[in-house]
Amino acid sequence: MKAKVKRWLEDGSVDLFLGYKMVLGHPLPHCFAKDKIEEVDDLIIGSSRYSLEKIATHISARKPDIKIGMLARDCNQRALNVLYIWNQLNPENVQTVNVNCCPSNLKEHGDCSYLEPETPGIYKQQVGMDNTHRTQDVEEYDQPERLSRWMYEFQKCIKCYGCRNICPVCFCRECSLEHKELIGTGALPPEVPIFHLVRAVHMAGRCIDCGLCEDACPVDIPLRLLYRKVNEIVVNVFDYETGSSADQSPFSILGDKVALEPKPLHIKRAETINSSIAPQEKN
Amino acid sequence: MDCKFIPSICSYCGTGCGVLFEVIDGKIISTLPMKTHPVNEGKLCIKGWNLHEHVNSFLRLKQPLIKAFGRFIKADWDEAIQLAADRFREIIEKFGPDAVGILVSAKITNEENYLAQKFARAVIGTNNVDHCARL
Repeated sequence: MKAKVKRWLEDGSVDLFLGYKMVLGHPLPHCFAKDKIEEVDDLIIGSSRYSLEKIATHISARKPDIKIGMLARDCNQRALNVLYIWNQLNPENVQTVNVNCCPSNLKEHGDCSYLEPETPGIYKQQVGMDNTHRTQDVEEYDQPERLSRWMYEFQKCIKCYGCRNICPVCFCRECSLEHKELIGTGALPPEVPIFHLVRAVHMAGRCIDCGLCEDACPVDIPLRLLYRKVNEIVVNVFDYETGSSADQSPFSILGDKVALEPKPLHIKRAETINSSIAPQEKN
Repeated sequence: MDCKFIPSICSYCGTGCGVLFEVIDGKIISTLPMKTHPVNEGKLCIKGWNLHEHVNSFLRLKQPLIKAFGRFIKADWDEAIQLAADRFREIIEKFGPDAVGILVSAKITNEENYLAQKFARAVIGTNNVDHCARL
């Protein structure tokens, strides 16, 4: 890995390389460059994740032609795909060194999606939403209970905007969450559930399920679960697996091809039309 | 293109959350929580997340101002400290040392807080020392 990064920096295939380095006992992101090539010996994969692709967007926003190399776990790769689609990074200027996913309780090099959040305490188990739930577990609660459990989680919010700030695919200059006519200001908790639902809706076709938002949430709201639900709908309706490829998103209204076409829904609709026509034919 | 990551401690309150400044071409462009910091474990409050904003703010004071003729006029540190010392001396002579109070802060270090109370007790001669966290 180190030899490859050195070679890339030396032959100019990348100008900068984003990786990790131990600094004061902490694995921190580090930007390696050709003029300090000896630092590459300290390159590590790092046990904690930072959004390197978000840093890459900051760099390329200042210098669009710069060639950036970076370490990429599976979640980084998915985030890169989304950023390519939304024109935040140019795939021709990005090279990745693919590495194993974060160590988890289940596997030493487990896929990030297997990462187990902490088991919640007794009170949260009784009234809140378990961070370890899958979307189908949530559906086992009846609707009023589901609402009250989600509301318990949302009203803990201290509106730190950490979920948005850490999100690798949140790049809008103007954010709906800061729009005072959409979301009232001055009170805590923020307008619930609007604050969280606005963000959830905006995560449709964007969220790559990296879990950084939940990591950054000071009050442990199961955000990942919420966005998983939203993206489950995106898969069902549009047949679009967010981040799996750099193909255009069904939500993109820019570019050469506009693909707002709901795919499987189309078939369903045809079926319902057929079934609604069928009895009439009988008559 | 110069891109650096500088670990630091949040200066807003006494909790001491670990932050990481993202510095591109000498300018702090964002603040991130330090994932492995034992205090905040990768979480921050809204103030911590926006730590870089006051550094870059055009309203930030970079040198002392002295109010003269109803306006704030830029001054150097020697001049400002001399003026403050003269005015304190005047007040202490006229009304006694208990006319002065020292407010310390969570935004300065433990050692600086110690110095501030020492300054209040030993130099000015008052026990009027208070702290913003004791509201």
